[in-house]
Formats: sequence, C-alpha cells, structure tokens
Amino acid sequence: MRIDYKLSDKFDFGIFVPVSLLILIGLAAIYSSTFNHPTMSGNFNRQLVFSVAAFIIFFITYSLPTNSFRMITTPTYLLSLLLLVVVMVIGRKVSGARSWLDLGPFGFQPSEFGKIGTVLAMSAYLSRKNTDIDSFKDIIISLGIGFIPVMLILLEPDMGTSMVFLGTILILIFWKGISLFGLFIVLSPGFVAIAAIFGFYYFLASLILVLIMLILFRKDVFFSGSIFALNLAAGFFTDYLYNALSPHQQKRIQSFIDPNTDPLGAGYNTIQAKVAIGSGGLFGKGFLQGNQTQLQYIPEQWTDFIYCVIGEEFGFIGSMIVLILFLYLFLRILKIASTTKDEFLSLTIIGILSVYIIHYLINIGMVVGILPVIGIPLPFVSYGGSSLLVNMFMLGIIANVYRNRKNYT
Amino acid sequence: MKSVNFASISRRTFIYAFVIILFGVLSFRLFQMQILNQEAYEEKSADNSIKAIEQIPFRGVFYDRNLKVMVDNIPAYTLRITPSDYDPKLNPLIDKILGSDSGYVASILKKNRIYSKYIPIRIKRGVGFEVVSWIEENQEHLPGVDYIVEMQRGYPIGIKGSHSFGYTKEISPNQLSKEKDYYVPGDYVGHNGIEKQYEKDLRGVKGFNYVLVNSKRKEIGKYKEGSQDKNSIKGKDLVLSYDADVQKVAEEKMIGKRGAIVAIEPKTGEILALVSAPDYDLNQFSYVTSREFLQELYNNPDKPSFNRATMSLKPPGSTFKMLAAIAALDMGIITPSTTINCGGGFTFGRFFKCHGNHGSVNVVHAIEKSCNSFFYHLIYKIGLDKWKEYALKFGFASKTGIDIGEEAAGFIPGENYYVKMYGEKWPRSIMASLGIGQGEVSVTPLQLAKYVALIANNGKSFQPHIVKGYLDDKTRQIIPYRFPEITTGIKQEVFDIVKEGMFLVVNGSGTATHIKMTDIDISGKTGTAQNPHGQDHALFVCFAPAEDPKIAIAVVIENVGFGGTHAAPIAKAMIEAYLKKETLKKNELKKDDNQIIAGVKLED
Repeated sequence: MRIDYKLSDKFDFGIFVPVSLLILIGLAAIYSSTFNHPTMSGNFNRQLVFSVAAFIIFFITYSLPTNSFRMITTPTYLLSLLLLVVVMVIGRKVSGARSWLDLGPFGFQPSEFGKIGTVLAMSAYLSRKNTDIDSFKDIIISLGIGFIPVMLILLEPDMGTSMVFLGTILILIFWKGISLFGLFIVLSPGFVAIAAIFGFYYFLASLILVLIMLILFRKDVFFSGSIFALNLAAGFFTDYLYNALSPHQQKRIQSFIDPNTDPLGAGYNTIQAKVAIGSGGLFGKGFLQGNQTQLQYIPEQWTDFIYCVIGEEFGFIGSMIVLILFLYLFLRILKIASTTKDEFLSLTIIGILSVYIIHYLINIGMVVGILPVIGIPLPFVSYGGSSLLVNMFMLGIIANVYRNRKNYT
Repeated sequence: MKSVNFASISRRTFIYAFVIILFGVLSFRLFQMQILNQEAYEEKSADNSIKAIEQIPFRGVFYDRNLKVMVDNIPAYTLRITPSDYDPKLNPLIDKILGSDSGYVASILKKNRIYSKYIPIRIKRGVGFEVVSWIEENQEHLPGVDYIVEMQRGYPIGIKGSHSFGYTKEISPNQLSKEKDYYVPGDYVGHNGIEKQYEKDLRGVKGFNYVLVNSKRKEIGKYKEGSQDKNSIKGKDLVLSYDADVQKVAEEKMIGKRGAIVAIEPKTGEILALVSAPDYDLNQFSYVTSREFLQELYNNPDKPSFNRATMSLKPPGSTFKMLAAIAALDMGIITPSTTINCGGGFTFGRFFKCHGNHGSVNVVHAIEKSCNSFFYHLIYKIGLDKWKEYALKFGFASKTGIDIGEEAAGFIPGENYYVKMYGEKWPRSIMASLGIGQGEVSVTPLQLAKYVALIANNGKSFQPHIVKGYLDDKTRQIIPYRFPEITTGIKQEVFDIVKEGMFLVVNGSGTATHIKMTDIDISGKTGTAQNPHGQDHALFVCFAPAEDPKIAIAVVIENVGFGGTHAAPIAKAMIEAYLKKETLKKNELKKDDNQIIAGVKLED
C-alpha cells in the first residue's frame, strides 16, 4: 500500500475552494446591500462571525471519525422532530411562518437543523441490510421518516423548506435504486397535486396522463386502481393544502402566474429582482453602484434575494461565476457520492447534495423569475447563521468521507 | 437486501444531466435578461430610482394699462397627505387643527382615491403658520402629513374684477382626462374669465428636477448633479386694457346696486373697465373655498356670480334712438333739417305717448330732448328690416367675442320674427316702441358700450377685449395680441350729426345736463328700459372728450328708474378718473422732458 503525503489526498480542495469563494462573494453582496441600511448595517459583521464559526464547524466535522455520523443519526433525528414541535409552540413568526427559536441572544431555525437529521435518518434506514426499496413496506417507512418533518414544517407554515425536504426524500430513494414503477407511484400524486393548483382542467388532464401510464406499466387492476385513487386523493388534498397556506404564500403563487397584476404587492419582489438583474448587463454596475440594491428596492435582499445584488453589481460575468462555482461543487460532490461504496455515506452525501441543489434551483429560479417567489436562501451566499452553519456542517461530512475514502471505496 | 440499482451509473448520469441542464437553463435565462434585454431592464431601473419633481412656474400676473399690478402671486402654505404613508385614524385630529368640519379630511381623501396612493394630496391651501409649526413639531406622529409653500392669487390694490379676472381652481377629473399630457392631479387651472381664457399663457411651462429616490420614494440626492434638470418657465404677465383707477371707481360706485358698467377705448376696442354688480371677493377662491361662501354666492337672489356686463339682456331704451337716427340719415330718409312735429305723442293704431310736448324737432334736438314722437315716426320710415340691418352693423344680436368667455348674444326682431309670431298681418303698431329701444329688443351692457364706442369713433373700432398683450420679460415691452377690426361702413356726416345731438344731451338742454363739466366735454344719451316686473332700469351711454373720444361708457342700473339721475353720475366719475389722470400724467411727462433737456444742456 502506497502512502501518500499530499495534502490534496486528505483534503478535497474541489469542494472547499468553490464554497469559500461563494462565501466571500456572499459577504461582498451582503455588505453591498446592507452597509447603508438603517437597521441592517450590522449584517455584514454578523455574517463574518457566522462564517468563521462555520469554517470551525466544517473543520471539526472534517476531523471526526467517520462512523460518528452513524452514531448521531437517531438522536439528531429525534432532536430535529422535538425542535420542530417546540418551534410551533414557542417559535417566533418571521414573514408569516412560525419558524424561529430564540435561544438567548441567538435565534435559529429548527427546519435547517432538521435537514441533517432527516438526511441521516433516511440514509440510515435505506442502507439497512434488509431494506428492499421496491417493497411497499420499506417505501412507506422511508417516506414516513421523511414526511414527518415535512408535515411539521408545512404547519409552520414554511412551504419553501418543505419543498427542499420533499425533493431530498425523492432523490434519496432514487439513489437507493427504486424501480421506475416505484418512482412513478411516489411521484405521480405530487404531479397531480401540482396540476390541481392550476385549476380543474389541469387536474383532469394530469389524471388522464396517470391513467395512461398505469395502463402502460401493465400491473394488476386492483393495484393500479388503488394507485389511481391515491392520485385522486392527492388532487383534492391540494385544494385543502392551498387553503391552509398563509395568505401571503397564496398571493405569491397567484402573482407568479402574472406578477404585474399587483406590481406593488406580491409581484413587487419578482419585478424588482428581475429589473435589478437585467439592468446589470454584461459587467454589472460595479460594487456598491447598483441603484436597485443601493436604493433598497428589493426587500430583505441580503437573504433570499442576494443573487440580484450579484446580478446587478457584477453583471452577467459575476452571475455566471456563481453558477459555475455551484456547478463545479455539485459535480464534485456527485463524484464523491458515486465513488463511496458505503451505502449510508453515499446516500448521506446525495441527500446533502439534494439539499444544496434544490435550494439553488428554487432560489435562483425565483430571483430570475422562472419560479414563484418561495423564500429560501441561496446556500453559502445568503445572509443567515443557521443555514450557513448547517450547510458547512454538511459539507464537513462530505470532506470527512473524502478524507477517509480509502476505507470506503 | 441490497438493491442492484443502488448508485448505478444510469442514476448517477441522471443526476449529472439534471445538474448540467439546470445550469444551462439558468445561464440561458441570465443571458436573456442581462445581455439580450438589458436595455429594457436598464430603463425600468432608471425609472424606478429617478423621479422627476415638478417645478410649478409662477403664474403670470395681471397688470393694468399703466402697468399697475392688479393680480399677483403670494406664497401660502398647503397641507398635504400622502395616503400610502398616512393613518386615517389621524383624520379627526387634522380636521380639528385645520378648523374644518369633521369629516373634511376624509372627504378630500375619498375624492382623490382614484389617484395613486403614493402621490401627495393637497388637503387645504392657505393654512396658517400655526398649522405649519404644529406639523413641524409633531412630524414623527404624523406619517404622510406634510406641507409645502405654494403660490396663490393675491389682489394687491383691492380691485375685485370678480367677473373678468376669474380664479384658479384644482383641475377637475374631466379636464384632467382631456389634457393629461400637461396636467397632473392637484394642479390648479384657470377656472373663469381671463384666468381660464389665457390659461396657456398664464401657466408658463413646468420644470422638472430629477432626483434620486429610494424605494420609499424618499429623496436622497440629485440625479447627475442636476445636469438633466429643466427649469420652469414663468407664465406670461398679461397687460390688461383696464385702467385700475377707472375700474376702481366703477366698482365702488356700484356697491349696493345691481347692474353693469363697461367702458371702452373707442379707437382700440380696449376695455377700460368692466363691472357687474353685485360682485364677490376672489380672495375666497384662493383658499379651499368655504361652503358658506359658495352658498351665499349661488343662493343670493341678486345672483352675484352672474356676469351682468356680458350676460344680462335688457331693452336699451332711449339709448337706442341714435341707431334709428343713424339708419335714417345714412339711408337719406331724413336730413338734419327734416323736422317732425311732436304733439306729446304719436298715433299709429293707438296713441304712443311722449314725455313732453317738443313741438317741431329735427334729429339733433330729438336726440337732445329724447323725443319719442320723432323716433316713432322714424322707424316706420326706415322699415323694420332696414332698421335691423343697421343694428346688426353695430354688432347687436351677436356675441362681441370678448376674451373672457361667456356672453349672451341678445335679440333684434325683424319682419320674420313678427310673421312667425302673429302671421303675415302682424300688427305694425308693435314697431313703434322699437324706435325708442323698447319691446322685444334686448342687448347686453357690453354691446351697448361697443355701440357707443363705434359712434364715438365714427363707425370704426376693434373687437372689445380686456387683455392688450403680455409683457416681455427682458425688454419690458408689451407684445400686443391682435383683435379683429370692426367697421360699420356708415358715412362720416351721419356720425357728426348724431354726435351733435349727444353733445347737447349733456351740454345743451338735454336729459343729462347735471353731469356737465367745465373742462371735459361729455356726449351721452340717457335711457330707461321698461321693466314689466318692477321698477325701470336706468341706462346711460356716453363718450368723452366729445371732440376726440378717449373713453366710451355704458352704464345699466337695474330697478332704479330714470337713467339720467342714477346712471349718468357714475359715468361722469369714471371719465374724471380716466381723463384727469391723463392730463396729470401729460403734465408730469412734460416736466420730465424739460428736466432731461435741462440735464443735457448742463452736460454740454
């Protein structure tokens, strides 16, 4: 066995460098959007502190023995659920969702912490020796592990974060190797549910599509029938769910369909965000020179709308650099996940990757106006302690697996 | 059991493809927004943060013909509310501070609900300094409440001019929708009279200051150091043909009376004074007009808002006798030596009374004595339609075109009219009273003034008007407006004869000898318009000086009886005010000339 002393063998610069750059770009954007803000000018310094803390957490996680993640799985998951219940009782409401827990001078979001618990718990269950992902029982149990936090988060109600969880759950069972038909059973109710939001005819069309698919899969009539009934129920459940959404979330969905119906209300963010990015042009207006940003046209820009600061002040080139950094990071993580032979760790890494990708997809998709306004942060870039610490902890797990990859590959 | 599919190459490829496609979609979207559509977004972004702040120019002032300021601008505080920032719970408090009826603020806000809630609404103009200092002190408790300094109309020398100046008023939604390219909600526009008629000259051109604003619409600096700013251009200062002194005398003399006066400079058609009584105080319109004032204005039985000078229609009475005389002389039906015997009246079907027994009178003496019999005869000789033709030459039965808008045309009956009323065999006896200006004939005081001005200037004048022109800001020269010329085409001798009669009315043994002056010769004619509803209306038309007329006046006073007694002295006072000042000024000018000559000599 050859002993390699090269640092890059123990430490994956392929994930560390892009993330560090993203954090730096994020700090610049946070500075730009808050330095002359009447109440938020302290955000840059706070984020600086969070970043230092996040790097410390990253390195601690990186140095832990790899099997410790398996050990913390159950307690982390249970603690996540507990905190999600507690936050509903004593949580602080921020923009309509009771999602914040205050611990002395700090506040944090249990839903962020819950990502770790859920990814680990699902990965642990799916990687059990006797789990058969194509058995109905195991699908139900693994989905159940994921859906409990999803339900709790929906009750806050925080639609954006629940979507992150849902996507992560799907990608985990996909990675585990669920058959196409199994995936169809899992996915089709969601598809019908989304179609139902757009109206009755969309709902009807989606049901017909599901019916055609069922016929093509050629399973027995009783089984196909129950799956169709499940889809039907999902459609009606959507209606109930839509009504359960807070009014501001309903408005956001409506204003996505046409943001100009209410240019100073729910559609305002979308319009102003697009104007900020579009007016950036090729090179951007320059650091601290973006009028949309500097004149505070976009509310809470340092969190969910941070990408418009980059788009406006650093232009197409700056925005593309961010996209490329993410692309490189994602492909690198995907490679580590594929080369890790340990199922639990491979699933965990894929789960973490899913969290990152879905945040990235929803956040940037929203800011450039191809998705509705669903407030979730851009990983590593947006202002926010909970999110940054959790993301860096999860990155630490990946770096840890890379360090010890020789034991698992 | 281990799944055979776990982390398979195809699943890995699927996620790989997903990440790449996602990257592709987002990159394309960025390219589309930032490269392809950059200009459109750039424009929106500029619109967002650059706000044009209107500079309302000073409205043009009104000078009289001697460049005395009659209407100017005075600064006043206006309280405003921006609905987007405002809490309607403050309504009662602000009502109280303004001293308005409760519900006032709410009603103004409601009226303006159709406009953007981000535009400040003027709640009340002309608020006192105590209101302004109260806003200053309580600023943080009064979100969305502020005040600005605005100009409002002032009337510095106490000339009311209520029926000719007009006033400014917040633009109506109706007018706003028609002239959207210039006006915005809350702009003040001329509402009546000169203010309305000359709005485009008076308002000037709005300027714009471009400022940077943040998303709360708060100003945070100038855009490009103000290099793009456009200064407002002050409205044109109008020079009116009014003589402030004459107008003032006329207004004062009409206090407590009902009626109208119009004075015209015969050679130019320039109106020297125009009064309709009772009048009202235009100052009341400078502020948010009080309900009591408006009630008084519209419910008063004397109708102060009605412009009698241009709108009230009355028979002209004996002042119309010159018309018949002119027609008959011009047609050659009579000569100055033609006499008619007045036996105290005239019989045509029935007996028409004269107020005296004038014996044998020619046309000059008939005017002097105002002999009815003479003119009863005359109108039959002229014929109704010929008589009407001459009336039309003087502009009766049509609007004069005066530059303050509303006026009535009046009525002169002809054959057609009586045929229509009574058939072909209409009683010819009706005609008799037309000869002395009674009956179906109706004229406005303005038309009468124009008529007497035309007589004074031998059948030539210009369309009556109040605005001479505007004052060039740099040269201080008057740039005149042009008005159409009027000619009657009547022979000069005719006017000479008629004017001799009018001269004798005052200076001979006529009906207005009590206003005879030693230094100025006035020619005039009294009249009494019969009023079936009450006491007769007094009329007097005149011009002076008789030899070279500089002022022609028509006075109509309602329900006071004989014209000579009540109307003539007012005309006399106006003539004195106008002509004695002229001589005074001339003397001063002569003195100035002498001094200059003296100065030049000294320098030599």
